[in-house]
Amino acid sequence: MLNSYFARAFAWLKTAGGITVATAAVLLVAGTIDRGPYILVNTVVTGGMLGLVAMGLAVILGVLNIAQFAHGEYFMIGGLSAYYVIRPLHAYLDAHPSAFLAMVAPFIAMITATLVGGLAGAVTERVCFNPLRKRSRANWVMNSFLLTVGISVVLVNGDQLLFGTDFKGITHYWPGVVSIAGVFMSVDRVMTFILSLVIVTGFWIFMKYSRTGQAIRAVAQDEMGALMVGINLEWIMVLTMSIGCAMAAVAGASLLFMYPSYPTVGLEPLYMAWFVVILVGLGNVMGALIGGFMVSLLKVLTLEYIGAGWEFVVPSVIIILVLIFKPSGVFGSEVRSVLDQ
Amino acid sequence: MLLEINNLNAGYGFLQILRDVSLKIKKAEYVCLIGPNGAGKSTTLKTIAGIIKPMSGQIVFEGKDISGWPGNRVTRLGISFISEEMNLFTNMTVHENMMMGAYTIKDKNTKNRLLEFAYGLFPRLQERSNQLAGTLSGGERKMLGIGRALMADPKLLLVDEPSFGLAPQLTDQVFSSLDTLRQEGKTILVVEQNVTKTLSVTDRGYVLENGRIELKGPSAELADNAHVRKVFLGV
Amino acid sequence: METGVSKHEMGFFSSVLDRLCLTPLGALLLVLLALLPLIPPFNQQYLLRWLTIVALSAASAIAFDLTAGFINIVNFGYAAILGLGAYTSAILAVRTGLSPWIGIFVGALASGLLGFLTGLLTLRLRGIFAAVMAWFIGLALMGLAIKMVWLTRGPLGLRVPRMFDTSSNEPYYYMMIVMLLVVYVICRWVTRSKMGLAFKAIGQNMEAARTSGVNPTYYRIVNFTLSCTIAGWLGGFYAHYMGILTPDLMHTSKTVEVLAVVYIGGRGSLWGGAFLAFPFLIAMELVRSGFSNLPGLHLVIYGVILILVMIYLPGGIASLYYRFLYKPWGKFWEFMVGYKEND
Repeated sequence: MLNSYFARAFAWLKTAGGITVATAAVLLVAGTIDRGPYILVNTVVTGGMLGLVAMGLAVILGVLNIAQFAHGEYFMIGGLSAYYVIRPLHAYLDAHPSAFLAMVAPFIAMITATLVGGLAGAVTERVCFNPLRKRSRANWVMNSFLLTVGISVVLVNGDQLLFGTDFKGITHYWPGVVSIAGVFMSVDRVMTFILSLVIVTGFWIFMKYSRTGQAIRAVAQDEMGALMVGINLEWIMVLTMSIGCAMAAVAGASLLFMYPSYPTVGLEPLYMAWFVVILVGLGNVMGALIGGFMVSLLKVLTLEYIGAGWEFVVPSVIIILVLIFKPSGVFGSEVRSVLDQ
Repeated sequence: MLLEINNLNAGYGFLQILRDVSLKIKKAEYVCLIGPNGAGKSTTLKTIAGIIKPMSGQIVFEGKDISGWPGNRVTRLGISFISEEMNLFTNMTVHENMMMGAYTIKDKNTKNRLLEFAYGLFPRLQERSNQLAGTLSGGERKMLGIGRALMADPKLLLVDEPSFGLAPQLTDQVFSSLDTLRQEGKTILVVEQNVTKTLSVTDRGYVLENGRIELKGPSAELADNAHVRKVFLGV
Repeated sequence: METGVSKHEMGFFSSVLDRLCLTPLGALLLVLLALLPLIPPFNQQYLLRWLTIVALSAASAIAFDLTAGFINIVNFGYAAILGLGAYTSAILAVRTGLSPWIGIFVGALASGLLGFLTGLLTLRLRGIFAAVMAWFIGLALMGLAIKMVWLTRGPLGLRVPRMFDTSSNEPYYYMMIVMLLVVYVICRWVTRSKMGLAFKAIGQNMEAARTSGVNPTYYRIVNFTLSCTIAGWLGGFYAHYMGILTPDLMHTSKTVEVLAVVYIGGRGSLWGGAFLAFPFLIAMELVRSGFSNLPGLHLVIYGVILILVMIYLPGGIASLYYRFLYKPWGKFWEFMVGYKEND
């Protein structure tokens, strides 16, 4: 019994996915030994949230067949909403200290951000994609992609128009540091990591076991079949868009202490999320989480060993190589054929 | 009258395919729609199922005008459509597909009863219940398509080309399962290329040519009709 | 398509116009452009400078449309490829003292080579994958331009010798108008030949094109190479006109600007984007300077128009022209445009 597990693990290690994950693990360990534990910490903190952003992108790709270019803007919306909730709460806390409120205030901010992001996604689907879908399904992937380009322009500049270009950030959600195995790190970082794991687990359970989650999977696999069994396509599409955008928004909110909100803050998460999605295969939702950690590691290592500024170049070169040699992604996926047209 | 269609016009975009199609189906009837390729047989079924929006005309089901309703509401009302290519969820297991078929049904007991009935009709599906739908053979896929449609507890089954892509032996099996369903009191509207076979099993038939109903009548009479014999049977 | 023209007996004038792929209306607009520096508000230097940049955008839009509108691949790294041409020509001029007049062609070659490689690399990829690939190539290029400070001086900006030894904008403006015409004529020539048909075929359905004997590989590479060569050429002009280069030129948002002009103007029409660029970009500039207390407003309007066009007017302004002006006023336009187009 145990032997067959080992045999299967070894067989998996020989696949493209296995090689990539193993290489990433080795690099992570080597980097941590060479430069210290903060390599591990930084990878894990941003990796979980990057995984969330990428999962949102993958869900939208898989179910709606929309290649989101505006995904980073929902990250921005999340950060912005959280900022405007947490600032007054922090100010209130300064005047009236309360241990309980200090504990829950960040959650209030993040939940607000999630709701605002989800609402923004739903509105986008109703106002932009639904009319386009009704008008014509011809050349859908390219047309919807161009539509998201327009949405991105509107959201970025709308943010600039309404809220200005200054950096709206906070130094922390929860004050203080904790020590884990002799390494000191801020509470925010630990919480961010835990939060990403909780959300991903919740999302997985939702997709696997809930009736609605199964309906979403059904729509991703066969839209007409879903209609035939009585699934309300329009509702599923609104919901999926909403969930995908909410995932980006919650990431933007919980990373506010690292990424202050400003109009074009979304470009980097967008670019990283696309990198993840192509690396693991378009529409591979669960693979996106692992991919998030791998890409985050790559970024941390690039910054550490090659220097600031190169984190745009090195991943681009790698993604070009992935697209040339393994266009279906290292884990493979079935959605590709839909997006081929 | 279970289903009544009056002067239905439908098509894709600017291309009109159906012209003033009218037909009536009583409860527990087994009706077929035959005609040459491109006559609009599939389009008729898809329009009833709510997948294509009609340009004009009426579709009345149990006294309700359902023309222009989206497919999911039509399914909820008790019309199940089985398409030519089945549209299975290939990355889900057979069992998951069956349960998706019962998406509109919330009551657990009803679901179990329906599942038992469908598995009773196709024991093969029960054997394969943990296999991914994408890995099934052609005949099994067809069974799963019908089984999944039955899970919605339909009053009317719309079956598009049950023999499509199947070997003659398997075709007979599929037809005999439709026969069983009919004895269970289901109403069936079937579209077929295999005219001889279809006319020998159904009660009544409609002949569709160039988007119009050209002939109608009891199947036995249609099978003897000179025009039908000349066009479809080559005699 | 302008087939069937040869059936008519054509005079000298219309045959020259036909060679240039221009309609009398198009020629009229071109004359208007040439006279513009003499017409009052536009005779001011700063407006002329703005007009030159608009004409440059119009020309880039034409070359962008060659890929986007015909083979249906959005070259998301377009701005970066234009920037590559700009930097190549600029660095050659700075380092080796090469004349800008030769430099811009070397820059065009460099961009064309990269376009060739991009076409080659995206062969196995389709649609959205090719767009993403081109985007990442663009991001990598911009990253290099930022980081190779020893060569490009990075964000500090590279000072570039200008083309004409004058502070006046007229020579640049006229040169740009000529370049615009040349770009248009080249793209029109290509697209109205058999090759244009092949482009449209692989843009609509790659598999069908392949089975009917069109080699998608060849045509895609040709298309990418040509479009990128033109971009590099225009980039070279930009460098020697502005006199200073920063990596900002290669930013994704610059590609988005060109893209918006092309799609609002009408994909696959070539002239749509080029025509629209003038009134549209000028109007946008007016909004920008008129509402300077509301930064970003003009870009919001820009984005909203792009969204509306994508949903409700997939053919862009060009399709409006055919629907509302061309058909109802058939006789008049037949005279103005010379002949009836089929679509």
